Amino acid sequence: MAESILQKQLVLGELLDLPSFTNVCKTFVDLYKIGLKVFDQQGTKVVDMKVASGDFCAYMFEGPNGRRLCTETVTHIKVRPLDNLPREDGNIAVRNCFSGLRYLMIPILYEGDLLGRIIFGPFLPDEIGDLGDDLKALEGEFDLRKAKELIDRIRRAPETTVRRIMEHFARIVDVLVFTSHRAMISSQLHIESVTESYREVHEKNKKLTDAMERLQELSRLKSNFLATVSHELRTPLTSVIGYSEMLLAGLAGDLNDEQKDYLKTILEKGESLLRLISSILDLSRIEARGVQLVRKLVSLDDVVQSALESVLPQSLKKNLTLTSNLSPAVQTVTVDGDKLRQCVVNLLSNSVKFTPAGGVIRVDVGPADHAPEAAGPFGSSGYFQIAVTDNGIGIAEDLQPKVFETFFQADSSASREYGGAGLGLSIVKSYVEAHGGEVTVKSEAGKGSTFTLVLPIEPAGTGIALV
Amino acid sequence: MQFNTGQRELTLKIVYYGPGLSGKTTNLRALYQRVQPHLRGHLMTLDTADDRTLFFDTLPLVFRAGNLKVKLKLFTVPGQVMHNSTRRIVLQGADAIAFIADSQPSKRQENYKYWLNMVENLKANGLSIETLPNVVQWNKKDLGDATTVDAIAKMRLEGKQPVYEAMAVRGEGVVETFLGLVDLTFGQIDKHYLLSDKLGLDRRQFVEEVRRCLVDLPTDDVAGTN
Repeated sequence: MAESILQKQLVLGELLDLPSFTNVCKTFVDLYKIGLKVFDQQGTKVVDMKVASGDFCAYMFEGPNGRRLCTETVTHIKVRPLDNLPREDGNIAVRNCFSGLRYLMIPILYEGDLLGRIIFGPFLPDEIGDLGDDLKALEGEFDLRKAKELIDRIRRAPETTVRRIMEHFARIVDVLVFTSHRAMISSQLHIESVTESYREVHEKNKKLTDAMERLQELSRLKSNFLATVSHELRTPLTSVIGYSEMLLAGLAGDLNDEQKDYLKTILEKGESLLRLISSILDLSRIEARGVQLVRKLVSLDDVVQSALESVLPQSLKKNLTLTSNLSPAVQTVTVDGDKLRQCVVNLLSNSVKFTPAGGVIRVDVGPADHAPEAAGPFGSSGYFQIAVTDNGIGIAEDLQPKVFETFFQADSSASREYGGAGLGLSIVKSYVEAHGGEVTVKSEAGKGSTFTLVLPIEPAGTGIALV
Repeated sequence: MQFNTGQRELTLKIVYYGPGLSGKTTNLRALYQRVQPHLRGHLMTLDTADDRTLFFDTLPLVFRAGNLKVKLKLFTVPGQVMHNSTRRIVLQGADAIAFIADSQPSKRQENYKYWLNMVENLKANGLSIETLPNVVQWNKKDLGDATTVDAIAKMRLEGKQPVYEAMAVRGEGVVETFLGLVDLTFGQIDKHYLLSDKLGLDRRQFVEEVRRCLVDLPTDDVAGTN
């Protein structure tokens, strides 16, 4: 991002409109009859107005000592370091000229930065009212009577009055600087904001174009792959299942009980093979192009009830109790409903599989207890959770981190008691993470397990990420 | 941050971030009331006709701490959704963040979204909330409910940043939030620039100097500094 106006060092001449500022200074000088100079921080003259001091100063410049002392004073008022920390007394500094005249200086401070200085003078302080001692000492070089005559043309005033005028003038300059700085920032930031928004949109457009090209290529590959797999694997399997059903229905004649039992086993294993192929297809899709989400506003109640219905037959066989508890705090969420349902079904199927007959499986839905780490300290208010708890066989602690790996089985021995390919939780993990969520497990061997899905209620960044 | 060793001048940029209408400008206004007039600059507000911040508000504070001249530049960002690019610009070169959260239960999601938005905008500026000193202020504490209390307790328990409660319209909690952040920020800078060693200025003294810029301290606070 380019450096903003907010970082830029201010320059007095860029902030003030010089012709109008000069006019303001002129009205001041006309009113108070005191000379006025304004310099910026680099020592560049912004305004220089003299009142009645020209003749006197020119006379002082005629003598060599006068010239030297005069130059000293002029240099001093222009470059003398001024206190750049704001003080209650307004930071006014004083310089007495050798001639008895006096100058007052005040820094132009803005946001703690020194932008320049204002110089009032020369004036003849009322409390002195005569030529200065240093000038008197130069009698011979100057005609003191002439000097007195010329100096008397210069404004005579008490220093306190000049101080007040000066403070007043400094305030006006402050307001002018502030007002123009404000106007400058407004216009400049307008341009910066528009430029920044343009840059952002441009960047996003490029990403979208790249993504589209990639997707088109993947889509082509995916189509080929899916066509092959569904044809090569599913077609023969459909025949196996179909003919088994026809035989069982007695379409090819009566069967004895033993033949029926064999056929039922063929049918059951055929269907489980079909499910396995479908899972592999799901995973292949995820790996080929990531998870494609179709987010819609869905009711959590609908998702949970539909998932519970799909595992009802198996749970009845094992005489398991299924309960659900939905918090009214989160009722609808913007997610891919089909994928969320499949996640819950996969968790429930596992619970049914690993919970002994007579066990209890519970589904709890509500606001998230803990949001993912990346969600920041306000995270939990943006997330909901679905927890599936059972009192089944549980998972040993050292195996818990591995359960989400593809093809992982807690018991991988050939003689294992429970079936399955180890794909369910891996799919759950992919789907949940695609939503910007996470899945965690808490379990104790022999006592049961709780799998918790935590997902954002709305996709992250909705509403404020885009301009 | 700018640290001019030659001139012994330290400039710090503190940004007040948070959802729209959470009270960022109100915080700055309340602080403005509390700073000694000769130490504060103009409170510049760039807002729309309906008092919504258009670009930002800014309040400069200039004071001396030991041998050091310190300029604190306080900024707010515009809270409205559409001003994201301006928020990103204002965050440029930030040295510390005061996140002003809204205690109203209906604004819980907003707080969360703006935090993420901030993290993202910091990232675009090459900054990270992990390393940037930050505090959270739960403003409008009178409008919170039991769930707010829980959320605040939870945040305190996580302990990632100091958490304050405030009612900025009444000026309550504003100074505490500000001084808390100043404390944290000095600690961080000190680590890099070793100001304590170089200038003999430690963290506690620095915070005390900032506290001295403020007027109308409650009596117990004054007693504490004597």
